[in-house]
Amino acid sequence: MTPQAEPTSLDIDATLRLEELIDREALVELCDSFFTLFGIPVRVLSKDGTLLADSAREHELCGYINTFASGRAACGATVGAVKIADPDEAGELVHPCFSGLQYRIVAIDYDARRIGRFILGPYLPADVTDAPSSLLELDPRIEPPTAKSLLMKVPRARPDTVQRVARHLKAALDLILFSGHKTLLTSQMHLLSVRESFRELTEKNARVQEAYDRLRELDRLKSNFLATVSHELRTPLTSIIGYSEMLAEGIAGPLNDEQKEFVGTIREKGEQLLHLIQSLLDMSKLESGTMSVRRERLRIEDVLGEVQKTLTPSARKKGVTLRIDCAPGLPDLRADPERLRQVFINLGDNAIKFTPSGGTVTYRVASVTQGDSAQTDVGFALLSPVRSHLEVRVLDTGIGIPPAEREKVFDPFYQVDSSSTREYGGTGLGLSIVKRLVESHDGTIRVEENVPRGAMFVVTLPVARAEAGDAH
Amino acid sequence: MQLNFAGREITIKLVYYGPALSGKTTNLKALHELTADESHGRLMTLETRDDRTLFFDMLPLVFRAGDRPRQPGDRSYTPVDPTMGMSLRIKVFTVPGQVLHGATRRLVLQGADGVAFVADSQLTETEHNAASFLDLRANLKELNVSVKDMPIVIQFNKRDLPQIRSDEELKTLAQQGREPVFRAAALSGEGVVETFFGLLNLTWSKLEAEHQLSRIIGIQPHEFVPVAARKMGIKRDVSAILASCLGGNLDFREPKP
Repeated sequence: MTPQAEPTSLDIDATLRLEELIDREALVELCDSFFTLFGIPVRVLSKDGTLLADSAREHELCGYINTFASGRAACGATVGAVKIADPDEAGELVHPCFSGLQYRIVAIDYDARRIGRFILGPYLPADVTDAPSSLLELDPRIEPPTAKSLLMKVPRARPDTVQRVARHLKAALDLILFSGHKTLLTSQMHLLSVRESFRELTEKNARVQEAYDRLRELDRLKSNFLATVSHELRTPLTSIIGYSEMLAEGIAGPLNDEQKEFVGTIREKGEQLLHLIQSLLDMSKLESGTMSVRRERLRIEDVLGEVQKTLTPSARKKGVTLRIDCAPGLPDLRADPERLRQVFINLGDNAIKFTPSGGTVTYRVASVTQGDSAQTDVGFALLSPVRSHLEVRVLDTGIGIPPAEREKVFDPFYQVDSSSTREYGGTGLGLSIVKRLVESHDGTIRVEENVPRGAMFVVTLPVARAEAGDAH
Repeated sequence: MQLNFAGREITIKLVYYGPALSGKTTNLKALHELTADESHGRLMTLETRDDRTLFFDMLPLVFRAGDRPRQPGDRSYTPVDPTMGMSLRIKVFTVPGQVLHGATRRLVLQGADGVAFVADSQLTETEHNAASFLDLRANLKELNVSVKDMPIVIQFNKRDLPQIRSDEELKTLAQQGREPVFRAAALSGEGVVETFFGLLNLTWSKLEAEHQLSRIIGIQPHEFVPVAARKMGIKRDVSAILASCLGGNLDFREPKP
């Protein structure tokens, strides 16, 4: 592999380098083991002649020769020639030494390319029986008997043995190279795949983010539009209601019964319309986050007391009993009393609407320390004090809400079934406003079944903490 | 294609594409089996953790213009003059068929000179074949390559199974389309060589038109495929091999009449 910092594509035809595919230390061990096994020194060179591994130990003969200046020169020349000898297309080459020893130079090819070579030797060819004249004539001080005895100490090898050793080493190297190449490609491929997947994901993320930003902008525009329209609608409507009130009061002259009834209907429907517009306005304010929520320390009992006062007339009219059931010693809340009243009036109003005559609507309040037990088990002692909540349950004995619908009832304009609109009235905005109001108080709301019949809305609101300083 | 003047080498990349389990790897294994040992390297299989998935297989086929294969024990063997011609390497890859490996497929496809699309002949696989081809098109597009500019041959594999698209049907389809179509039963090696040389022929005709490769490696244009076949140890006549094509155009330059 050519050294590239950031390969972006799979280099299908990279020129492999021996030094990059093998581990040098392990190669030295391999060469040593060959040397131990066959007594023939092994050197491995890269394509450009860098020595990668060397198991050669100096033979006594070579040490002896090197004590003479001419011997040193001749030895250096031979070793130099061996190092640059190119085995060419044939792949193998035998190089003689003046001492009678021999070297065998073998090409290392991989993927049909030359990537290096190894040198076996020096070894003593099987047919050499005496020190050759090329050695003895080098220096008159060289003693033939010494030279011969040292020469005979060099491991002797027959040509076919050397060839077998060469083939064996070549096979071992080939295995190492193939494995190395395979690992290289695998890791390259994995890396590139991961990078490609990352690129793909990044692109997708950018597109999703863009779409999300656009949607948010559209949503903001929609909320603005809704707020403006609601406001503009309210102004003439106030006049309609005001003038019909004046008409009903007889300010413009006495009305007969039929006229009074008609004007009454105009006023009633006008107020319904105003209520709807108010809800829409609330909704858009909550959505755009412009609804201001005051935070003051208050008692839930007080809020529910007012709720009861407001709802009692309609409950009585429907024949539904309204009950408030507060546990003793409830902690204070930090909330907007106006908004909380709106929440519980809305829930109560709904409950009364869907409860048949003779039924009961109950507000039940208790203090809880976070219902989610799996979470509280961890660091309970530390976390439970900051997690304590008030739980207000609004129970009715009405028609109930099927499990599948329980999440959807909080969607704007959602009604469990469209026939209920005709039977019970309502815009389908109430609960979605309730949910958003509760959430703006860091609370939660959910629906459960009221056994044996009816629905139960469970509102949890965080309790005011003692250290939170306020005017109370 | 990669042209390396310094190393006197040309590398052509051929990619076997197709749905999972259509027999791409089987094709490569068979091709490896059916070609002469000295003409190719080891078949490399890179596998991912989840068994079935093959990353790619690589099959380098190396030869030189005017070269002849060395027979074992041939002492008179002399290599050609290295200053003559260039060596050509053909790398054959398969892509992982599993849908999950989209990024890898694109990586392998990058720089491809030709594509053999291995389709499964079974009628039940019709939709997978089409989906994989659309995937090929989309990936090429992502790599800024028009599918029209890519030499593609189609192989209908698994002809030995029951419940397959009939020969007549394939023939009709082949003659209407532009890609050469081959039949194969890769497990038994049938049609593998045909598909490969069909692809090589088609790819070569395109590269020849664009780069005059024959001149660079020093052979006659029409000689290339027969020389390649001979070097790969294919004894059969190349024109007979190519004649098994059911339809489509085997020459990239000439528009279909």
